[in-house]
Amino acid sequence: MAIVVKLDDLLHDRRMTLTELADRVGMTLANLSILKTGKARAIRFSTLDAICKALVCQPGDLLKFEPDDAEH
Amino acid sequence: MSRPATTSTPLSVAHVSLRTLRAVNWIYGVAILVLVVAMPTRRWIIDALNLLPSPETERLIVGLHVIAVIGLVTIPLNDSVLKRLLAIVESVRGGDPFVAANAARLHSIAWVLLALQVLSLIIGVIVKLVSTPEHPLNIAAGFSITGWLAVLLTFLLARVFAEGTSMRDDLEGTV
Repeated sequence: MAIVVKLDDLLHDRRMTLTELADRVGMTLANLSILKTGKARAIRFSTLDAICKALVCQPGDLLKFEPDDAEH
Repeated sequence: MSRPATTSTPLSVAHVSLRTLRAVNWIYGVAILVLVVAMPTRRWIIDALNLLPSPETERLIVGLHVIAVIGLVTIPLNDSVLKRLLAIVESVRGGDPFVAANAARLHSIAWVLLALQVLSLIIGVIVKLVSTPEHPLNIAAGFSITGWLAVLLTFLLARVFAEGTSMRDDLEGTV
C-alpha cells in the first residue's frame, strides 16, 4: 500500500500510548492497532476527525503517500 | 472478525435433509448401476415391460439403456450440488456465510445445474425419439422453465455473494 500511516510517530511526539488514544477517541485498541500497523483498508472521516482532535494534528500529519517500488 | 455460531430449526432441518438426500442419491445410483450392469438382458426387459418384439421395441430398449446411463452420470453431479449446499449450510451454522468459498460453491452449483438441465433436454429428446403410441415412455424430462430459471438465479446469487463478500471484506478493514 502506498499510503503510510504515521500514527506511531505522532504518538511518540505527543508521548501518548495507543491505549490512551483509544480512550480519547472512543475506538477499540484492536481497531487502532489495525490502523497503526497499516493493515486498514479504509478510514472513516469520523475516525480521522477524532484522531486529529485528540492528537491536535492535520490529516496530512497522520497519512503519507509513498509510491511502491513496483509503480516506478 | 469471527461471528457467533448460529443454530436454528430451519438450519438443522436443512442439514439433516441434505445429508439424507445425499444418501438417497447414492442409493439411486447403485440401483441404476445394478439395472444397467447386472440385471436386464433384452429378454428380461421385453418380459418386464410386456413389450412386443418389433424394430420400435429395439429402439425403445436402446433408448432406455441410454437414459439409464445418463441417469448414472447425474448421480455424481447431484452429489456435488448437495455436498456444496451442505458446506454452505455448515458455514451459516458457523456464523460466517459471507466468505469467498461460498461464492465459489454457488458458482460451481450453477454450472452443475446447467449441466443437469442439458442432460434433461437430452433425455427429453431420447424419450420423444423412442416413445411410440403402443409403448409410451412417461419420463419427466426435457425443457423446464423453472429449471433454467434456477440456473440463472444461482449464477446471479453466486455473483451477488462474491460482491457481498468483497464489500464485507472492505468494511472489516475500515476503521
